Amino acid sequence: MGRLKNIFRKSAVESDLDSELRVYLDQLTDRNLRDGMEPEAARRAARMELGGLDQVKEEVRQVRAGRLIEQTLQDVRYGVRMLRKNRGFTAVAVLALALGIGANTAMFSVVYGILLRPLPYPDAARIAVVCLRYYPRDFAYGTLCLRDFETWKANNHAFEEPSIFGATRLDLAGGEAAPEQVLGAAVSSGFFPTLRVQPLLGRIFAPGEDQAGSPAMIIIGESLWRRRFAASRDVPGRSILIGGVPHTVIGVMPGALRCPYAETEAWTNLRQPLPTRYGPWSYRGIARLKPGVTLEQAQADTNAIGLVMMRQNPTYKRLTVPVLELRDWFAGDMRKPLTVLMGAVALVLLVAIVNVANLLLARGTARDREMALRLSLGAERGRLVRQLLIESLLLAGTGGVAGIALAYAAVQALHYGNPGSLPFMEFVHLDTRALLFTLAISLFTGLLFGLFPALRSSRTDLRRSGAVSRRHTQTRSALVAAEIALSLMLLVGSGLFLRSLDRLERVSGGFSAPAQQILTMTISPGDRKYSEAAAGLPFYRDVVQHALSIPGVESAAVSDALPPDRQGDADTFGIEGRPEAAGEINPVVSDITASPGFFRTLGIPLLRGRYFDEHDIAASEPVTVISESMARRFFGGSHAIGQRLRASGAGMGNPWMKIVGIVGDVKYLGRSEIRDNDAAYYMPLSQNYVQRMYLAVRTIEAPGSLVRALRREIQAANPTATVARIGTMDHAMDLDVAEPRFHTAILGIFAATALLMASVGIYGLIAFSVARRTQEIGVRIALGARPGDVLRLVVRQAATLAVVGIAFGLAGSLALTRLLQTMLFGTSATDLFTYTLVPGVLFGVVLLAAAVPARRATRISPVVALRYE
Amino acid sequence: MGKQTNLLQGTLDLLILKALAVQEMHGLGISNRIAQITRGTFLVKPGSLFPALHRMEEAGWLASYWGESENNRKAKYYRLTAAGRRQFEAESRQWETIAVAMQNALEA
Repeated sequence: MGRLKNIFRKSAVESDLDSELRVYLDQLTDRNLRDGMEPEAARRAARMELGGLDQVKEEVRQVRAGRLIEQTLQDVRYGVRMLRKNRGFTAVAVLALALGIGANTAMFSVVYGILLRPLPYPDAARIAVVCLRYYPRDFAYGTLCLRDFETWKANNHAFEEPSIFGATRLDLAGGEAAPEQVLGAAVSSGFFPTLRVQPLLGRIFAPGEDQAGSPAMIIIGESLWRRRFAASRDVPGRSILIGGVPHTVIGVMPGALRCPYAETEAWTNLRQPLPTRYGPWSYRGIARLKPGVTLEQAQADTNAIGLVMMRQNPTYKRLTVPVLELRDWFAGDMRKPLTVLMGAVALVLLVAIVNVANLLLARGTARDREMALRLSLGAERGRLVRQLLIESLLLAGTGGVAGIALAYAAVQALHYGNPGSLPFMEFVHLDTRALLFTLAISLFTGLLFGLFPALRSSRTDLRRSGAVSRRHTQTRSALVAAEIALSLMLLVGSGLFLRSLDRLERVSGGFSAPAQQILTMTISPGDRKYSEAAAGLPFYRDVVQHALSIPGVESAAVSDALPPDRQGDADTFGIEGRPEAAGEINPVVSDITASPGFFRTLGIPLLRGRYFDEHDIAASEPVTVISESMARRFFGGSHAIGQRLRASGAGMGNPWMKIVGIVGDVKYLGRSEIRDNDAAYYMPLSQNYVQRMYLAVRTIEAPGSLVRALRREIQAANPTATVARIGTMDHAMDLDVAEPRFHTAILGIFAATALLMASVGIYGLIAFSVARRTQEIGVRIALGARPGDVLRLVVRQAATLAVVGIAFGLAGSLALTRLLQTMLFGTSATDLFTYTLVPGVLFGVVLLAAAVPARRATRISPVVALRYE
Repeated sequence: MGKQTNLLQGTLDLLILKALAVQEMHGLGISNRIAQITRGTFLVKPGSLFPALHRMEEAGWLASYWGESENNRKAKYYRLTAAGRRQFEAESRQWETIAVAMQNALEA
């Protein structure tokens, strides 16, 4: 036990050595006294003979330390040898640990980068985004208009300085580099003070510079500054053309500023016109909480302001003013799925740990005899414990290293295979804390399950080791049942996601043209003169005609909205002869402006009446085409043709438009949107000019090669025009389901991992139990049991475990998958198909895993079995 | 101890084992006993004795406990373990072989 004392009780060893040497000194002094020396001389002679107390102590210490290092190295060598000898055990345990550690580290790194990372704004937790929610519009975090902003400012108590922002696309003319579009934001003066960010160069907007008469100014982001201005320090003060309007650059913001969206690269001063009417609803508020005010108190305050807004504008129904922390605004829709995936990966870690515990227990049982034997041969218990400790550390260490590699690969893969739905991916790095945390957990597991059985068996003697292994077997059965239960939960979640994704992918975008043959891009005419139809209409007519002249182009059209996700405008409407009651408006629906060829280019089916054509011009009778859902919801089916509709509410001065056709529903809001929201009315571009349009081109073959030609034709029609967001409809359709596809894939990987580990667990348990029952099975066979009987005997054990595990797993799934309901499309969280198929498959896998050792059992020879042991 | 360390260390171990083979002893007893049985040829200094004792305890050949010395002082006693006894026998045999071989060599 001396060594253990050395490790754990350093000071006790020291004081022991100290007294030992002092006694020795006293004994020498006594002897000298007996030899007749004077007391003083006797003591001096004794000290000289000892030769320096500290020197002796130091030499003893070195001897002990040398031994410790030597023995530790011995244990490490022995441990490595044992791990290499049991290749199967080592591989499975290391793999389980690596998967658990790797998956958790990678997942946490993503969650940290996207959800938890500290924002680059001082005291960011006190910045809130202020939205508007009301019926009939019903967007959870909808936008407000300038009038609402006035009401907010007038009644605000909770925030320091209310400010607003609205996202816009900015057309940079070709002065300093090629024309390009970037995502910008028009902001009020309070925006930057709210964020408390300092510009790299220049200044921010001064108070009052957000008023109607202010000169046009722009602050550019670092990325834009480096890309277009070669990071020149004299950029502030320069004038650049944005959409044909000169803007003075007044500052450059650091690249870390990614607000209000990850892609935002420039900020213009919102030169607020005096709000004369409600709309456009293009803004959201952003403000910093006053000291001492909580987010909840601010929410109560804005809700009170909401009541004022409703009083002022009776068309707002059930209006609330949701306030959300800036962090939640950035996280957007990602919070829920990432939280679910984080929970799922924790389950995977749990399965991995259970698996390793199981393996270690099995090995503990197998080594019971080795330990008992070594103890009876005089080995020290402490030495055995230390050796097992070192083996567990080796295992966890190897698993940890493999886990780091796995996590690194996973994060790299996410960077390259970013589904496009994860914002701020560049902030996702391998997270050291997560790594250390999961490593610590796996080390702890290794120690717990590697050491305790060993300690227990080190206390038993050879005769009693049987009882211990029986207890181990019970623990192992429970662990395997737990693995099955956890795997079932992951599999059910994964199954539900798959069902949901399958349903979602089957939803048609509402157009029949082959998606891979449609090329789309957004066009900005650039110069200011195109804000008028007189210049704009001929430009777009030219664009369409030039596009059609390119070989390989079948048809072409422009529109201000595209399926599946590029919603254009949304507005309410009036129906002739059905005036709205005072304070009532019709629901807001999509209103789309398109050139005549739009329906044919995309293949949107005509159900009744006619499409737009070349004769619908500004001078002719205003016409509109409505969608099937529009007709169903507001015209009761087919009587719509010939009736008249007008855009926006009463009193806006919009003309009545005759309904000339009904077309099929198109998904402009994403394929997961409910059918009622497919209600839309279309207006011809010639009668309702919009400056910024999408070009859609239908080609005979893959359209990639046409991009250059199209760009050239557009530039030929108007040198100030810019194009952006070039891509095929195919890609857009993929992107539309990228997020659920991503979640489904990740959860699927997690579930498969858990299933694999559970299979290994059950296989190991049954194989072990067959080995232990060799004698019994041999006797049964000798007494006439047929292979079928033996098979049944063994498989029954596995089946019992499976049934218990599945029962617990089902209970857990029913409790947990409820949380998934909002993430599922067209699938119930208690989907019967999933809940029947998954347990069935899992049961089958468990039996399969048990079948291998079971078959081995049937081949046991009674003669060999009876001689066993 | 200079160049003779290795030789002396092996010798010292064997002498300590031999000293303890008869009875349990404390440190001073061991060094006195060695002086006695080698007729004063080896005078073991504490600077060699204690590291050796602790090393041999680490190796599991010796065990130690605190007991009463002759004149009622507390002293740390050492005794041979089963492993120590086996080690003593093995080293003795080895030493005899070497001694005989050396003698033969020198007389040849």
